[in-house]
Amino acid sequence: MLDTLQNVAGFVVNIDLLSTYGYRLLLGLQITAEVVLISCSLGFVLAYPLSRARMSKNLFISSPALAYVTFFRGTPLLCQLYLVYYGAGEFRPFFQSIDLWWFFRDAFYCCIFAFTLNTCAYQAEILRGAIQSVPKGQIEAARALGLSGYSIARYVVFPQALLVALRPLGNELIGIIKASALAAIVTLLDLMGETRFVFAKTFDFSIYLYAAIIYLAITQAISRLWNWMELLLSRHLLAGRPATMVLGPGARQGQAALDPLRAET
Amino acid sequence: MRFAKLLGLIGLAASLAGGTAEAKEWKTVRIGMDATYPPFESVDSSGAIIGWEVDYGNALCAKMHVTCTFQNQDWDGVIPALLSGKFDVILSSMNMTPARAKKVLFSDMYYATAPVWVGQASNKATEVTMESLKGKTVGTQSSTVFANYLDKNFKGADVKLYPGGDEPFLDLASGRTDFVVGDILVAKGFIEKNPDCCRIIAEIPRSADIFGPGVGAAFRPEDKDLAAMFNKAIAEVDADGSYKTMEAKYFKIDIRGK
Amino acid sequence: MSWFSLLFGPTGWGPLLLKGTVITVLLSLTTVPFGFGGGLLLAVLKLSNNRAVRIACDAYTTFFRGIPDLLSLFIVYFGLQSLLNLSAQVFGDAWRIEMNAFIAGVIALSVVVAAYSSEVWVASLKAVPVGQSEAAKSLGLHPKQVFFLIVLPQLGRVALPGLGNIWTILVKDTSLISTLAVMDLLRASSEASRATTRPLLFYSAAAAIYLIFSIVSGVGQAYLERRSNQGYA
Repeated sequence: MLDTLQNVAGFVVNIDLLSTYGYRLLLGLQITAEVVLISCSLGFVLAYPLSRARMSKNLFISSPALAYVTFFRGTPLLCQLYLVYYGAGEFRPFFQSIDLWWFFRDAFYCCIFAFTLNTCAYQAEILRGAIQSVPKGQIEAARALGLSGYSIARYVVFPQALLVALRPLGNELIGIIKASALAAIVTLLDLMGETRFVFAKTFDFSIYLYAAIIYLAITQAISRLWNWMELLLSRHLLAGRPATMVLGPGARQGQAALDPLRAET
Repeated sequence: MRFAKLLGLIGLAASLAGGTAEAKEWKTVRIGMDATYPPFESVDSSGAIIGWEVDYGNALCAKMHVTCTFQNQDWDGVIPALLSGKFDVILSSMNMTPARAKKVLFSDMYYATAPVWVGQASNKATEVTMESLKGKTVGTQSSTVFANYLDKNFKGADVKLYPGGDEPFLDLASGRTDFVVGDILVAKGFIEKNPDCCRIIAEIPRSADIFGPGVGAAFRPEDKDLAAMFNKAIAEVDADGSYKTMEAKYFKIDIRGK
Repeated sequence: MSWFSLLFGPTGWGPLLLKGTVITVLLSLTTVPFGFGGGLLLAVLKLSNNRAVRIACDAYTTFFRGIPDLLSLFIVYFGLQSLLNLSAQVFGDAWRIEMNAFIAGVIALSVVVAAYSSEVWVASLKAVPVGQSEAAKSLGLHPKQVFFLIVLPQLGRVALPGLGNIWTILVKDTSLISTLAVMDLLRASSEASRATTRPLLFYSAAAAIYLIFSIVSGVGQAYLERRSNQGYA
């Protein structure tokens, strides 16, 4: 019985384990950070043109964009990752012939490739929802005042749209951090990968709890940071109004597009 | 304070329960394996687990007069799954290493084969050194003796760890990795199916601290009675010659070991 | 071999993929009552007057929303069984509950889905005007009656878009169970691509099936939303 209780206690705290293998978790954390930062920013850059394509009136532009977004949001990320990682292996001669094999050979690049394509689809929908949340009347008014297309975008649409997009984009960042754990399945030694490695050596389950705490700390920190940013950027809206009004138009319109949750699959 | 009392109560209850618990009668035995390891165990296109170790497990169960079921379990989770009671025994080419022996109870050894280095077909080397690994990648299954071997003897090499047993070979075939460390029979099985892919470079001597004496069945430490039943059955399957028949059906070499 | 015979030939992998599809659907559908129900329970508790209960429920949600789903599933999958075994050790073998991989998978998914959906439920609970509950109370209805007769029937409509999102997350999350032991759609395609060394074919097939699901779910969701919004335009 004492053994059992000790096991339970050991399940929760194990300092030895942390002092021996803690540095491995930190090494993994670095890889996780690299994967997340690179794919999230690449995804953001690509998301804007994609969102414009989604809103285009030309069917030949908007329907491929719709197909892209539907595919990447409608299939599990793990499946996409397998497609990129193991699928690319089938095309080695082709990739070698165009000198791109070095890219698909490496699990790190494969992960970044798959995550970028995936987050790009989500971010494009966020941007689209945010841009469309700006009332049409404002754009018409700006046009009537003789503002150029660029000026309308720069001074009327973007300042409001980005504020609306801020929160869902933050959720997307958190989503990608959580999703990056999948990289471990295709051999990348990120935080999750290192955790599995340590577990394989020690068979000590508590290492998974430590990994959970690290992930939790990061996602919580980002969530706090975002709350603060939102408050900072929406001061002008807050003046004299109840706080719940801050995100008024965007939050109501297209709630499905601005989904507060984002699975990692 | 209340929490401490509660713990005490649980402790009391447990000691009572422990005192009255009776030995379990084994009628069905659930066998767990990681079916990514042909020809020892793999999944066929009907979804059933097949392979030498399935045949062997069935033979053991016939001797013990118990019904056996086979469950697939990812290798990384195979020991937690055993310990947490998802099945009763691991029959999955598990080498009896000292590290594992601290967590599980092993049966007698029932086979032992050589670990090998496998390389690209174009690689004509006869041995692998730290030097030949420069700028190259090595693939192997995670949580295995092979991974430990690499970690111990080739520190600093670029090692890729895969969840499944056959995935390293897939990546070797696709050219993503340059070497694989794995079991000789798994390697031979893969090369037979994909002859242009790769070749066996060298055998790795089995050092006891990393590889242990050979492969055994693994049990929860408290299931000593089940382990004893298995040991008896292992001896019986040896004695009546059915081991040799099963071995011949799958392999060209002797795998029994001593 | 041609892709057709690999899928539909005598030893083709089509049937296994089909079985995997059924498992994926069953996993998702079985998780719904537990996951969404658990979420509703959490939401009610989060609005309770007891501070300790509120904090505990918030902590639960924060934890499971803040760590990778893959990690939550792993922790629940193995941790839960250990807890059950502990209870068996403590209370005797009558308490030994065995879980097969499927049930364990459903529980693990439910734990995660409950955390996700509780937020949606909280928002929709708050959307039902307090005046209605107060009016019902003043008519002499028991608090339980107020909840089940007045509040609950209105929740569905408000919660539907949010729950629809979580449903699509859930369907995709079932693929993570494939890394544990369950022969779901993704696992079946992994097995097929390993045995045949044709990953592109089988993962594409899996992706196509997932895609069909999400499109069908999307259509179904739109229909349900239209229906539940009748009379609210």
